[in-house]
Order: sequence, then C-alpha cells, then structure tokens
Amino acid sequence: MHLEQLLEKTFGYRTFRLGQKEIIEDVLGKYDVLAMLPTGGGKSICYQLPGYVLGGNVLIVSPLVSLMEDQVQQLRMRGEKRVIALNSFLPDEMKKAALANLRYFRFIYASPEILQSPLWLQALKKAAIALFVVDEAHCISQWGPDFRPDFLKLGMIRAQLGHPPCLALTATATPEVMNDVIETLQLTNVRKHIYPVDRQNIAIQVECVASADEKLERLLYYAKTLQGPGIIYVSSRQWAETLARKLQAEGMEGVAYYHGGMDPEQRMLVQQQFLCDQLQIVCCTNAFGMGVNKENVRYVLHFHLPGQMEAYVQEIGRAGRDGKNSLAILLYTHGDEDMVQSLIEAELPTEEQIRLFVEHGSSALRSMLGISDVQWRLLQYLFEKEASAHTAEEIVANLREAIDRRRKWKRKKLEQMRLFLFRPSCRREQIVSYFHQSLTNKPENCCDRCTFSLESYRLKRHDEPAWTFCGWEEELKRIFRNEEYTWIKGNKSNR
Amino acid sequence: MLPYLLLYCLHRFNGERSLAAVYHLLSGKKSAQTLQDSKWFQLEHVFGVCKTISLLELEQTAQELLMQKWIVSIDERSYMLTEAGRRELEQWLPSARFFAHLNGSFYHAVDTLFWYRLSLAVQTLSNLVHRYKFAPIHRHEATLAWVKKYFLSQTKPAHDLAQALYQELHALCSSLPEEEATIFTLRLTSFERIGWTNEQIALFFRKDPLYIQLMFQHLLHYMMKRIERESHLFPVLHEFVKDLVKPVSLTLSAQKTYEWLQKGKTIAEIARIRKLKRNTIEDHIVEIAANVREFSIEPFVAEETRRMIMKEATRLGTRQLKKIRDAVGHHVSYFEIRLVLAKAGELRAS
Ligand SMILES: [Zn+2]
Repeated sequence: MHLEQLLEKTFGYRTFRLGQKEIIEDVLGKYDVLAMLPTGGGKSICYQLPGYVLGGNVLIVSPLVSLMEDQVQQLRMRGEKRVIALNSFLPDEMKKAALANLRYFRFIYASPEILQSPLWLQALKKAAIALFVVDEAHCISQWGPDFRPDFLKLGMIRAQLGHPPCLALTATATPEVMNDVIETLQLTNVRKHIYPVDRQNIAIQVECVASADEKLERLLYYAKTLQGPGIIYVSSRQWAETLARKLQAEGMEGVAYYHGGMDPEQRMLVQQQFLCDQLQIVCCTNAFGMGVNKENVRYVLHFHLPGQMEAYVQEIGRAGRDGKNSLAILLYTHGDEDMVQSLIEAELPTEEQIRLFVEHGSSALRSMLGISDVQWRLLQYLFEKEASAHTAEEIVANLREAIDRRRKWKRKKLEQMRLFLFRPSCRREQIVSYFHQSLTNKPENCCDRCTFSLESYRLKRHDEPAWTFCGWEEELKRIFRNEEYTWIKGNKSNR
Repeated sequence: MLPYLLLYCLHRFNGERSLAAVYHLLSGKKSAQTLQDSKWFQLEHVFGVCKTISLLELEQTAQELLMQKWIVSIDERSYMLTEAGRRELEQWLPSARFFAHLNGSFYHAVDTLFWYRLSLAVQTLSNLVHRYKFAPIHRHEATLAWVKKYFLSQTKPAHDLAQALYQELHALCSSLPEEEATIFTLRLTSFERIGWTNEQIALFFRKDPLYIQLMFQHLLHYMMKRIERESHLFPVLHEFVKDLVKPVSLTLSAQKTYEWLQKGKTIAEIARIRKLKRNTIEDHIVEIAANVREFSIEPFVAEETRRMIMKEATRLGTRQLKKIRDAVGHHVSYFEIRLVLAKAGELRAS
C-alpha cells in the first residue's frame, strides 16, 4: 500500500503536509532522524503512521503528562485501542496488565522520569521497540528552557533497549541545541529534516507602551476588538486569574483562566471549552497550549515578556494552525525584563541552599530548604556529576559555578529577547535568523516593522451562543433526550 | 466566604488548636491527630472539603479577621472569636446551606470518584443519544476503565439507559432547591456543551467560587447518601456508588428507628408508634451513633454536656459509665454518656 493510501485509511487525510512524507520514508528506512517542523505542522503523524508499517512497538518519550494524555486521547478517538501512557498515575490494575504484556501496545507513551524505573525498563526490553521517538526533543539539551536531567539519560536508555532507530522531533531548536540532541541521543547515520520555523500566516506585532496601566488598557482594547478565539499568555498564576477577572468585569463573556495550580477537572473543563469554542479567551501561563490541538486560534497575545525566543515562537505558533491569517501581539513596558529576571533567579538555587544541600544532601531536607522542583532537579543533577573525591568545599564551589553559568546563559537568552523588541529590523527576519535560517518570502501582513494593518483581524462576527440556559429541568431533558429519536420511536409504536 | 469558613472552624476549635490544624482539617490530611480533632471539635463535616487550599491563604485570611477585630490572638497561632466575630458568624450561618449535607470525613475520599464516573457516564450517554463523537471530559484512567466496563456490562440499549438515568437524576434534583439543582446540572458535560467550572457558576449566580465548591460537594454527599439508602429507587446510580461507600450495618429494628428519626419523630413518639419501650429506642440510637458516621447526636446531648463527658472520660481514662457519671454529675443521664462514647468509639473503630 502506498503511504498516501495508508494516510487516508488510517488518519483520513488525503495528502501529507510539508515534510511529513520525507521524514516517514527515512524513518521506515531505519535511519536515525532529526526533524524540525514548524509548530502545528503535524509532527505526530511522523511516528504514528510508521506505527502501522513497522512490525513492533513505537515508544514515544514525551516531556509532559498532559501532552501525553492528549495524544493518547486523540489516538483513541481515531479508534486505536493499542495505546498506553506510562506514568505514575496509572491505576494499579492497568499497571500490572501493562507490565505483563507491554508488547501488545502499538504506541507506548512514557515520560523520561518513568523510564528511570527498572521495572518499566525491564518490561520495555521484553517488548520489541521498533522506533524510539523523542517528542519536544529540544528539552534534551541541557540548555532547554526547563531543566529535565532525565532527558539527558535517554541515550543510555535507548542503548539498553538495543539501539532501535530514533526519531527526534522539535519545533524550535537552534543548531546548537540540535547538535546537543544528536550527541545525547547518540544518533548515528542521522538524516536531518529542517523546515522553516517561520509561519507565514501569523502577523507579528510588538508594542512598547509607556506604563503598566497603559499596557492593561491596550490589552482590554485588543480583547474587545480582535476576532477570537485568542490566547493571552502571562508570567504567573496570579496574573492569569487577575486578567481573566478584569475582562469579565468589563462585561466580556467567554473568558476563563488556566494554570498549573488548578484542580485537574477544572483545568480540563477550561481546555475542552476552549476547544469547543465555548470560550473566546483563555488567560494562561505557559502550562496551557502544548497538546491543545485547536485549529482556529486567531491571535496569541503576550502580556509579559517570554524569557527566550524558543518559548515565544512555540507560543505564538499556537495561532492559525488552520492556515488562516492570525496575529501575534507582544505588549511590553519598561521594566518587564526585571520580572523575567526575578523569575530566573527564583528558579536557581541560592547560595545557602547549595551549601545545605551539599552538607546534608538528603531528600528529607527538601521541604526544609523550601526548594522548587526545578531547583531540586538542577541541584541533584549537578551533584551527581561531581566526583565524590572532592571535598565539600570544592563541590559547593563547583555547583556555584555551574549555577552561575546557567544564570548567565539565561540572562543572555533574555537579552536576545530584549534585542528582538528594540531592533528596528523586520521581526520575521529576526526570528528566522535566531534559528540560523533565512527568510525566502515575506507575507503581505508581515510585522509592525514592515507595514501591515490590523484591520483584517478585527472582530467581525458576534456568534450567537449555541446554547442558552433555560433552567435545570430543560437542561436535563436536553442532555438525555433526542426529540428526533423519541419522535421516530413514538411513531413506530403507534403503528 | 473563606473568612467565614475560617471563623467557623476557629469557633469550634475554641482556641485549643492552631491555624495549622485548620489547614490540615480543610485540606484533609489523613493523620490520627487531624481525624481525632475533627471528631472532638465536631468539624468532621468540613474534613477535606478544600483540598487545594494553602496555609498561606489561611494565614492571610486570619490577618484579615484580626484587622476586622473578629478574632483575637491568644497565643502564637491560635485564635478566639470576639463578641463581634461571634455575631458575624451567627449572621452568616443561615446562608451556609451546604452544611446541611456536607460530610467531608465520610465522603471526601470518594465523592470525586463518584462525580468522575457519573459525569463521564452522562457525557457518554448524552453523546450516544445524540449520535455525537466526543473526547472524554476526564483523563483519569481508573474512571475511564470503570465507565468502559460499566457500559460493556449493560444489556439495555443506550436510549433506555439514558432515560432511566434521566429519571433518577430528575428525581434527585427535584428534591433540591432550584439553586442547587441548577449548580448540579450546569456542572454536567453533555453533547454540544462542556460543563461549567465552579468559577463560571459562581459568576452566573454572583456568588463566591468557594461557596459553589462547597455547595457542589454538599450536593454530591446528599446524592450519594440517598442513593445508598434508597438503592431500590436509584438502581442505575447505585451502580456508581456501591463499591465506593461501605454499607452501614444496622440491625433491622435500629434501621426502622433511624428511618423514623429522619422523619423528625422524637424518641417518645417512636416508642409509641412502634409500641416499644423508651429504653429500646435509646439502645437503637446508641447503635446508630456507633455505626452511622453522619448521624449527629446533637439533638440528644447538649454541646456543653458532650464536652464535659469527653473531658472526664479522657481524664479518667475510662469508659465505665458509672465512674464517668459520678465525675460529671447526676444531672447527666446514662443515655447521654453512652451516646457520646459510642460516637467517639465509632471514630476509633474506623
Ligand atoms: Zn516584517
């Protein structure tokens, strides 16, 4: 069967999107493949389709539990039953069944952390892993935005599984990060498929305003006048709630907030409401977005400065997946970088924490030190790397130095972001050159440095709400009763 | 809303526990100390009802209460209500309708599971009836597995099952005030509509989100209790709860007495109706107190008396009725002492 036929039969698409076919052919040719596809470019097809051709299991290592769950869900919706996500939330019964017969599953999703468990690794060894996929592979680089040391061990794990061919997928990686990925995963014979990061249908606007108040004013203006649905990114949970409440207080409907501190059910409700167009605006932290496959997001607005270009490009890439014209707006006011700066500091262990960690080093200390997850992972990783032969003083000094390197690196990233704000050249050109690419074509609506009009992005239609509340009795009836069906049934029994 | 809830807890703790105890109570920390505290100070119903609350939030709220002069600090981290605080609490209590059925210590570990199962089943049925494809509203694997198994084991066609579930939910909602039935229905996800969050419902009613959250739990607790008690009336819903809640074991005769009590009859009335001795009915009530967690002994024992009995029982380290009665004074009846001990013992046994 041709790949195209398989694509239509299994996924219901007539044609491949940019790069998919070439990547799949190399994967089926058992090469190691590094692929960089633009955000929303249909990365998952690149390993899901081979899953139906290769005789064996596909293991997908994914950085986020929620991302895994979303992908498992999407496969199940397509009728694929042989799919599982290994994570610590798996109920005991299912865990037992999965451990006994992992080979049964065509697609096995796993977090890098769970692969550290000897139990699961043993079970994976007994399965026949035909393809080792690393999703969001830029996380592998120790210079990734989040520090995930367990990603660094993936090369070793792959070796233990008998070196199956590897597919590393990312949307945003500089050449420096790509080399890191190749090295860490021990890719040999590697075929690179690098596609443009640029998304032609997203117009880019950066707006510097005089004060925090004015920024808020601009936000309200955009929220009220732009055609939704839209995503508003902020830097903290607190801000997500504050902005959502402000917009609601302005009489706007269909606004909600989303962040990692919410109860899982409430979070899911917001995500699903947004997907089903019940919401027009979600104010959120960067916890929202990955795995949310929504085609018609019309704009992404950054209320705070992202800490680095990679994150910015990922986030604006959530707009316009349907290929239609969309907008990315970044609001900046003097001093915003200080907030990012303090977020950076908050993520790094302090001098005192380093000292206590080295001197006592037990995990019992963790709560006492008041350490965040990121700080803890970083300390543990750096500590493991230090040879035990050193004296405590030397280890402290080395850790301090390593952490300082990280601080400098993060500051450099922030500085690049700042340059992006103030440099007078085309935004699109700046983005692609950050990823060492060049721009072949400028769209009509390019960026605020080139000229473009916001006119075509303005609110056009006021959709009538598909549903209105008419009291609980009516609602219960609506949920359970299909009048059409009841009518047919009634007619039949009358005869 | 949180200020009042805190005021309520501090009032019951009576200056004998710190803010950390309130935190452990509301967030549902499963330690012997917290469980005992909740029993001792009669706060079982709010055990674990705010699982996502933080100590910091409580500390800030306590600061607010201090500024309002509704509480005073009596030592480093414990507080007593002022006269003004007591008045505020009293005024607020009638509006706190969730206290009617809220039963945290009994249901906190299972109400979410019940809700996950129920809401996923409703979403599934609704979409089946309307022939829609849908993405499940929960990602909780155990629930997904349970609901799948449930539907596979059904022999009825989906439409019939939907109508049966509709009837049962309609009956439950009809027995509730309009506002509560509305909260419940708005939370449900169905075809073409994702359920609302507590926050969205709060906006709709112009109420505090915490109020909606507590109301919703109170609703679930009410439903679970009725489904369990009257399983013959709710055969479909009973499937959702039966493995979650341990059945209450009462003798048949005590069960009868319990039903009369729930209808609001007094001991004397029940004795007359059932043609039994008062003593027998009292025995039943002691049995109920020992076995039914949510059964309150408040109507039979004054709060002051209860505290006194517990204090003396602990001080003497005894459960001997006569010794305790000698210590507390002969104005207290054996029945009262037995009730208090039965209630306290029920905690130990669980
Ligand atoms: Zn441009």
